[in-house]
Amino acid sequence: MDELELLKKGWKNEDTSRFPKLTYNEICGMILKKSSSIVKWIFIISILEFVFWTLISFVLKDADYNKRFDSYHAENIMIPFIVLGYIILAYFFYKFFTNYRTISATDNAKKLMETILKTRKTVKQYVAFNLIYMALSVFIVLGIQFNKDEEMISLIEQASANGELFRFYAVTSLIAIAAVLVIIGVILGFYYLIYGILLKRLNNNYKELKRLET
Amino acid sequence: MNKALEHSFVEQLERHQNIVHKVCRLYTNNQDAHNDLFQEITIQLWKAFPKFRGDAKFSTWMYRVGLNTAITLYRKSKRRINTQDFDAIQFKIKADEYDDTEEEQLKILYKAVHQLNDIEKALVFLYLEDKNYKEISETMGISEVNARVKMNRVKNKLRTILNP
Repeated sequence: MDELELLKKGWKNEDTSRFPKLTYNEICGMILKKSSSIVKWIFIISILEFVFWTLISFVLKDADYNKRFDSYHAENIMIPFIVLGYIILAYFFYKFFTNYRTISATDNAKKLMETILKTRKTVKQYVAFNLIYMALSVFIVLGIQFNKDEEMISLIEQASANGELFRFYAVTSLIAIAAVLVIIGVILGFYYLIYGILLKRLNNNYKELKRLET
Repeated sequence: MNKALEHSFVEQLERHQNIVHKVCRLYTNNQDAHNDLFQEITIQLWKAFPKFRGDAKFSTWMYRVGLNTAITLYRKSKRRINTQDFDAIQFKIKADEYDDTEEEQLKILYKAVHQLNDIEKALVFLYLEDKNYKEISETMGISEVNARVKMNRVKNKLRTILNP
């Protein structure tokens, strides 16, 4: 007999009394408990990500360093840059919530996985945006400092007098690039770890379903 | 959510709970994990219940939510400690009630099914529950042709596991 037919026969004849029989009250108790589904975890982590990046921008705003930066009077560059940052944050927030609301356990398996991955992708894009935004800010600030910061200008003049102007620019830029790369590396490593663990099974199952369709 | 809705849900789930147990049977291999998954499926069913229109049978709707939870939504609990295998306790053979050889064979088959991946298990489950390829394709989100092709592959895989 075919293996599956045998299993089917056994499956149908299986004495279901061997399953624990839950009572009405036990089921009532169960529906009051909190879900620990992957969607809930993605939701919590995503909200934390939004909070984290928003807090970072506020913390940086109040830093002493930024007060010094105010004296450069570079508002015409920085204000549009900051406003753009908030518009993009609002856009990602809106998209995240609309995606989240479309996740439904009654969709077919493939669709459900797609909506979850889409929700996750939105937050991933938000993080990528933040990293790019952060890198850009570093270079814009550096550019402004080269032109407006008195300490920097005197250093540039000194380097110029010693005939080391190129070396000065190169070293400063390389330090900035290295710092940005280290921060991006740490953050990406962190994400890779969290989502690697959380989404491994979902990704594998989604790939398996996709593979069936090709 | 109101009491009437809750009553209707709990009553129907109580009646059809074997479907959820069967999903848990395929996706877990010990009692604690079984209970954990059962709990999560119940929560997901309850959350989705207000959208259940009654145009499909409650049991059919349960298959979908149950499998979706097992394949996608369920996050294995870390606090769980591994206890004894099902085969050792829950599904112990009672010699006087069952045909020994058939029961033994069934046990081996279950073990083989446990070696399949999540998607393959879902296909086997729907097949065991006598779902036709149209329903299987709708539940999984793949085409009917691909469901058929995959089912044949799963059968072959099971044969290979059983007769290495």
